[in-house]
Amino acid sequence: MSFSNNIPEPTSRRHFLQALSASSLAALMSGAPRLRAEEPVKHPAAKADCCILLWMGGGMAAPEMFDPKAYQPFQKGLPIEKVLSTFPAINTSLDGVKISEGLPEIAKIMDRATLIRSHVQPDLGTILHSRHQYHWHTGYVPPQTVAAPHIGAWMARILGPRNPVMPAFINIGQRLEGVGESEELKAFTTAGFFGAEFGPFNLPFPDEAARSVKPPDGMDAGRFANRYQLYRKLVDANPRRDFMSDHQQESMLRAMDNAHRLLQSKDKAAFDLTEENKSVLDAYGDTRFGRGCLLARRLAEAGARFIEVTTEYVPFVHWDTHESGHDTVARLKKEIDRPIAQLIRDLEQRDMLDRTLVIIASEFSRDMMMEGAPGSEARDQATAKSDTLEEPKHYGLHRHFTGGSSVLMFGGGTKKGHVHGATADERPLVAIKDPVTITDLHATIFTAMGISPKAVYDIEKRPFYATEDGKGTPVQSIFA
Amino acid sequence: MTRRSLSILLALGSLASAEIDFAHQVVPILREHCAKCHMEDNRKAGLSMNTLESLLEGSENGPIVEPGKADDSLFIEVLLSDDKSDRMPPKGDRLPPADIEILRQWINEGMKWEPGFTFGKDAYEPPLKPRRPELPPIVDGRSHPVDRIIDLHLTSNKITHPPALDDASFLRRASLDLTGLLPSPSEIESFAADQDPDKRAKRIATLLADDTAYADHWISFWNDLLRNDYQGTGYIDGGRTQITAWLYQALRSNKPYDQFARELLAPPTPDSAGFINGIQWRGTVNASQTREVQFSQSISQTFLGLNMKCASCHDSFVDRWKLDEAYGLAAIFSDHPIEIARCDKPTGRIAKPSWIFPELGNIDPAAPKPERLKQLAALMTHPDNGRFTRTIVNRLWQRLMGRGIVHPVDAMDTEPWNEDLLDHLATQFTDDGYDLRKALAHIATSAIYQSQAIITEDPAKAAEFRGPVAKRLTAEQFVDAVWSLTGTAPAQPHQAVAAARSNTGSTNLQAKWIWSYPTASASSPANEKITLGTEFDLTEIPASARAVYIADNDGILYLNGKEISRTQGDPAAREANLTGLRPGKNHLIVVATNGGATPNPAGFVFEAHLTFPNKESLVLTSNASWKWTSNIPGPDGTFSTPPGNWQPAAEVQNQAVWNAFAASLHPGPASTNTASFTRASLVPADLLMRALGRPNREQIVSMRPDNVTTLEAIDLANGNQLAQLLKRGATTLASNNPNTASLIDDLFLRALTRPPAPAEKSALLAAIGPQASPQSVEDLLWMILLLPEFQFVR
Repeated sequence: MSFSNNIPEPTSRRHFLQALSASSLAALMSGAPRLRAEEPVKHPAAKADCCILLWMGGGMAAPEMFDPKAYQPFQKGLPIEKVLSTFPAINTSLDGVKISEGLPEIAKIMDRATLIRSHVQPDLGTILHSRHQYHWHTGYVPPQTVAAPHIGAWMARILGPRNPVMPAFINIGQRLEGVGESEELKAFTTAGFFGAEFGPFNLPFPDEAARSVKPPDGMDAGRFANRYQLYRKLVDANPRRDFMSDHQQESMLRAMDNAHRLLQSKDKAAFDLTEENKSVLDAYGDTRFGRGCLLARRLAEAGARFIEVTTEYVPFVHWDTHESGHDTVARLKKEIDRPIAQLIRDLEQRDMLDRTLVIIASEFSRDMMMEGAPGSEARDQATAKSDTLEEPKHYGLHRHFTGGSSVLMFGGGTKKGHVHGATADERPLVAIKDPVTITDLHATIFTAMGISPKAVYDIEKRPFYATEDGKGTPVQSIFA
Repeated sequence: MTRRSLSILLALGSLASAEIDFAHQVVPILREHCAKCHMEDNRKAGLSMNTLESLLEGSENGPIVEPGKADDSLFIEVLLSDDKSDRMPPKGDRLPPADIEILRQWINEGMKWEPGFTFGKDAYEPPLKPRRPELPPIVDGRSHPVDRIIDLHLTSNKITHPPALDDASFLRRASLDLTGLLPSPSEIESFAADQDPDKRAKRIATLLADDTAYADHWISFWNDLLRNDYQGTGYIDGGRTQITAWLYQALRSNKPYDQFARELLAPPTPDSAGFINGIQWRGTVNASQTREVQFSQSISQTFLGLNMKCASCHDSFVDRWKLDEAYGLAAIFSDHPIEIARCDKPTGRIAKPSWIFPELGNIDPAAPKPERLKQLAALMTHPDNGRFTRTIVNRLWQRLMGRGIVHPVDAMDTEPWNEDLLDHLATQFTDDGYDLRKALAHIATSAIYQSQAIITEDPAKAAEFRGPVAKRLTAEQFVDAVWSLTGTAPAQPHQAVAAARSNTGSTNLQAKWIWSYPTASASSPANEKITLGTEFDLTEIPASARAVYIADNDGILYLNGKEISRTQGDPAAREANLTGLRPGKNHLIVVATNGGATPNPAGFVFEAHLTFPNKESLVLTSNASWKWTSNIPGPDGTFSTPPGNWQPAAEVQNQAVWNAFAASLHPGPASTNTASFTRASLVPADLLMRALGRPNREQIVSMRPDNVTTLEAIDLANGNQLAQLLKRGATTLASNNPNTASLIDDLFLRALTRPPAPAEKSALLAAIGPQASPQSVEDLLWMILLLPEFQFVR
């Protein structure tokens, strides 16, 4: 399937806004945001049409992944300050660039990657993952006086979906109920003041994604279609139709129509992983994250604009290693290595990689010793505290570190085989070269997508920018 | 490397290419040094800097600056000059070189100016004091004061009065607006049959007299406005506390609004303290989001419809509010002297507790905090504070009429489309003793409220009032309607209010949440199963013994070796009768299981009230005197061998984490009022309600989204939550109504307050057939619920 043939690209952005405007017009009423018309924003030419964010929620330790430091094997009684990395480094297809052991497949495709090793975050005091995740996903440190939109919502708002039938912003793998900090996760998993139209289409379980675009359980497609047909008949037969043929009614009917267009379209097959044959399913692996990557590829092919796939943030689980970090990271590497590499290869094979920006990132890094950034007074939250390595649960990077982390990028106009920035080789492992803040990283991502970092909407008479106060500067050197 | 060098590195990284920010960098400099002579009405030497245009126009001697040409400009030259005859400012210190550099760079970057920004005075300044407008003459017999004002507005704008609403539509609108509920078929029938010319006013009075329905409906409005019913970590960190019990009681008893506000601003008891306490965020926060500054923002927005958010960072660019005023309010609440921060940077100045309308009086900065809060409460509700009353009547008008007299309703600094109307409603409200229900009745009894909704083309442009605007059903109204049409409301409210509903007094749970260890309230392994137990002696068998309990997530209660109750799934409140009590020793055990797939909070709470024939009573509560064991009894609730490892149970930390659930427990004697049906507003928000716009409430929400989005439409079309409710409801409806025609009639009447039109009925009959299957009833329900006519209150 060819990328360009499959997706009807809008002739212009304006065209898209028109398509969207029907349902969003009502959002313009009252306190809702308004594009600041008097201040023309010049958007850069897009390098990518689609953005896939692979989110390592919980704090992915850079020294254990893409920025390996001196390896220290487990040794009973060893002072923990001796530990920088708990895995040896391995060579990659990119000369002179090593990554951590346990990522053999990603190592093979590093020659297509741009690796930022100097991503930094502010220290927000006592670590609360969801606050840092809010910052990373919206560009604004919470709490905010207005509901800040997720970066996916900015793309949905400004660019819309590539295929009008598809939701523009799709969020895969994160449960928003029944997990810790779920209110805080909801706080940034949102279009904020843009209104729900631009919010995420949430698919917490990739294997069940097809259900979200199928008729409800127990209803077949025929009955579903008949129900809608009869519904439209009923709307037309409504004796008060003419008294209500107003904006509100029409926009609601349009929303119903859009929904049914998706639910009855061919494109909804993109949500159904059972359409992939076994070899493909195997290649991506039988994990929620692996399946999420496969789903992301299918949705990218079908015309979504922004897709996030997460390993899922659950307090103290996955990347949030407060103890036994080494073992947990070894497991996580297995879980993500093949699907990420497979996703990149698949995109490449479909000629999609050049126009799809794939980002692997996390809210911060981790360190064996240091909580927050150097000098921080943040409370140590490791759960297995010991000054020396006594048992395996002490072995791993158990503190949250905001002074230097890694972001791996593929495609979307980024250089192939490029490293940006560096961290120190001795603790503190802070970024010592070309630091990239969240604001500038977002400016880079937005620029790749053809959105100005200064894109601005008015909310409560306040200008609200795509990057904090419109100040994001793209890291131009990472673009080819 | 030290932290210091890192931050320098970061600062360089972000400064190098940064463009000058007009609002944050240029405005303060110009305002500080140039305002006295060149801003607002001052134009020394003919130069006004109010707007970019006037600045570029220059002085009486011609232009002083051109964009892009700083070094050629007189503007920069006079700033640099030491010559007393032409230097600017003429007196005092020279501008710091860094400031001049900012201005130079700003000019060279093209002098970007905030669109619409002016240093001049805002054109409109709302009056402070209340005003009693003279009422225009009566037209067409419409004597209601609101109609007299509206009629004049309509005629002077050459707008035709919208046609009157028919009885049935009126009944649907008034019922939904005032109580959030659809009228029942018998109400519809009796209302239609009623010949009393005054029946609408009477109906309005009846609706508003239903304390429970009124409180159940309006609590959502207030929860949004007071950010109550928020569930995030603010609780864990000791900030936000629920005010649900207080709020519900205040609504039921129709507490006068001035008193209501005073109790929120200067809480007489902890019950109403949650609003001003705000949300305590973990970690460091921006200076504009400390609890003190949240207080400033929240009280301004909620009670005055003012936006203090801009001014909590810097003097506002869009209205008259200043940084010092925002901090003056914050300092009233603060336990300690607070330093004013400008754009998150300390200024070295300490805020002085002060009120924003000194015309009404001020705060004694030396007074202790509780006293300052009382003074604030008195100033806020001062009879001369017309802005306080205008704000609330405008909110109520917007709820009933679809659009505010000032709109958006939190922009009370802007001009109303009709000052007389706003002022009339506000003074009428004061005359009526700050009675919220009377204010609603006053609006609802007007002919304009009882008119057909206007057809809107684009609400964004609907600044001109032409008549009522249709309102979208709120998430709670929609879910209530689904529950009532399908008979699927949950058995008991999970939250709040059961006690207040039955007026039995105490809402305070004496019991403590317990588990086997105190940190269970933070996190406990999924599926952890323990046995908790207690023993107690009775001298005789009680006449009644009713218990309430919640087990998060599953629990089976055994009394003296017999199962008496069990709960599963959601941590929902359960009631149980303690059957099988005996004189002498009794033992009560519960097998409690934490649910979930991953670690999550666990807890158990139990309270029983035993009443003996001699009227004496005994309260049994879960607390640290209980014991726990890891042994699990058999299915009959007894251990094959008595466990030797009973250990003291622990009261869990952060009992407040459970407040939302505990509030739903109604200890005390059984309620006799079982008729009230559980309303959506009284249970925790689920994903369906969230999808339909019930907010998270970390922010104040004064208006919900009024459009149905595509993502919502997808949820409504195929979401399993709604589908399951319809399925359950349809099964009952189908078996109770074998005749399709009468079922269609019934559902139309209940949902739309009208019978189906012939075309509707024939289309449906043709599709469904004479004998409706559960499936076709399910589809019928869905179609009716998704009709725009149903989704909007017209």
